[in-house]
Amino acid sequence: MRLYVFVAILSLMCFISCKKKNHVEDNKNYLEIDLLALYGGNGNEELKLDSVYISPEGYKIKFTDIKCFFTMLGNGNNILTEAAYYDLREKGAKVLSIEGDYSKFSSLQGIIGVDSALNHNDPAEFPNGSPLNISNAGTMHWGWNTGYIFFNIEGKADTLDDGVNNFNHNFSFHIGKDQYARPLNLQNLTWSPSGAKTHVVKWKLDMYKFLHGLSPVDLKTEFLTHTASGQQVLTEKITTNFSQSISPF
Amino acid sequence: MNKFFGWFAITLLIFSCKKDNTRYFPTPYFLQIPSHFPDMMIPADNPMTVEGVELGRFLFYEKRLSGDNTQSCASCHLPSASFSDPNQFSTGIDGIQGTRHSMAIINIGWEDFFFWDGRETTLESQILEPVANPIEMHQSWKQTVEKLNADVTYRNRFFKAFGEEGIDSTKATKAIAQFVRTLISGESKFDVMYKYENNMNLTSDEQAIFQSVDAEEWAGYDLFKSLNGADCFHCHNGPLMRVKKFSNNGLIPHATDDKGRATVTNNPEDNYKFKVPTLRNIALTAPYMHDGRFTTLDEVIEHYSSGIHMSPTIDPLIEFGSQGGVQLDAQEKYLLKKFLLTLTDQRFITNPNFQDPN
Repeated sequence: MRLYVFVAILSLMCFISCKKKNHVEDNKNYLEIDLLALYGGNGNEELKLDSVYISPEGYKIKFTDIKCFFTMLGNGNNILTEAAYYDLREKGAKVLSIEGDYSKFSSLQGIIGVDSALNHNDPAEFPNGSPLNISNAGTMHWGWNTGYIFFNIEGKADTLDDGVNNFNHNFSFHIGKDQYARPLNLQNLTWSPSGAKTHVVKWKLDMYKFLHGLSPVDLKTEFLTHTASGQQVLTEKITTNFSQSISPF
Repeated sequence: MNKFFGWFAITLLIFSCKKDNTRYFPTPYFLQIPSHFPDMMIPADNPMTVEGVELGRFLFYEKRLSGDNTQSCASCHLPSASFSDPNQFSTGIDGIQGTRHSMAIINIGWEDFFFWDGRETTLESQILEPVANPIEMHQSWKQTVEKLNADVTYRNRFFKAFGEEGIDSTKATKAIAQFVRTLISGESKFDVMYKYENNMNLTSDEQAIFQSVDAEEWAGYDLFKSLNGADCFHCHNGPLMRVKKFSNNGLIPHATDDKGRATVTNNPEDNYKFKVPTLRNIALTAPYMHDGRFTTLDEVIEHYSSGIHMSPTIDPLIEFGSQGGVQLDAQEKYLLKKFLLTLTDQRFITNPNFQDPN
């Protein structure tokens, strides 16, 4: 009998000796920022890339890309992140997911675009996980010391009223350069719990307002800027409209 | 009987945590990444090792990977052509041609999707395809592994590369992937221009190269970046000279009506979009485009200058497409070509570590 007990104990030891460690419990809290792209006359219809919408001038339009950097996000002395990146096609609405305490961020300030202190650094030197690393920034870096494209809106329009869908009129707004970085200041943010450890805040990007803001954009004649010399007027308009189109949801 | 149980228990205890009898610990391999490049992300399940890279190099040039022992990876990815194929379409062992040009293998370790249509998302899975493909090397991996297993030198190389005995397709593709990740090109004249433009320090060697950049090459670079010039940079920028995207660049579809990315996504919005390739070593990788339709750089430049074909999925960044292209004059075409030639990295194609080890 004693031998059976001995064998049982040894066998148990065999199993326990190779047992893996239990998982470590995650006690961290996380924050997520979502930017919901909207369209429609009252700005409450979800915008989907490649879908057809009507511009304020009555043109049929499709957005094919909407991307944007946000940098130096925080609330006063509480820094949330150095950089966050919105890419509707590749990432959907998610701007940021990061460890943090939501109670510190009832308001958020930062920059729409890339802060000048970061804009001219070697894009290969940012940490691998940073959206500013050239591997992640991809098309959003000019490739020379002008720095990053702060935001990028591209699409196609049918500007001919001939009853034929012919989206052959491209529009492309690539905004960069330090002077076009704009402040972001969102107050009274409501963080909602999502799961046990995550809180989410939703912003909205009203693309109807972008086209039909204080200074309406006529895509038939105002369809291209790359922030180049000679394009300042449209660049300024696009930058102002875009910054005014972002607000708490 | 009791004795039996006793010995059984002790034996069980001894063998329960026993390690393999024979192990080998491969030597870590440290990639030489150019200072102006981002880090290369190496998959956790395929760390770079000296022995793995060496094995991969042998396998890359190994003709026994094909059904009739006549073709290796290098048959369609020639070092002299910057690891692409000078033929419009590569021909497999059965004499069957493909329908797309073999892509150049340059800085491929930074890619996230592979083939012109991006149907594979890891380098290892990409490498798995051509061996078994009936129009390429046309040999099952089972047969391939049998051939390799019959060669004691390969058995030893696999053992050293992976620290354990055994050959299989997963290990073979991992080793080739390791070798291919070492195929890094970052020493062209353009690299010096790029570093200068981005205020990066130049070494004394690079200073000398910088002094050799002539006014026409700088003018060509300006055209390359200019919105009202050649406007190339939207799709070809950064140290890797490409962006990660699929694009319809205004080619007239051929009779095969290859729809590119849409064949993977089944999304008509992706019709005629293909992976944007790097322009590095572009002078060495003719013919050009996914179907190799252009044989010279002059033809490529002419396409973007005056040959753009408009279609519903054309890239919005082809901004002058409605007028046929960017309308370069003869002098501008000449200057642009001068710049494109600065992308040639002779050290890359002559690097002895990249050549056939046999």
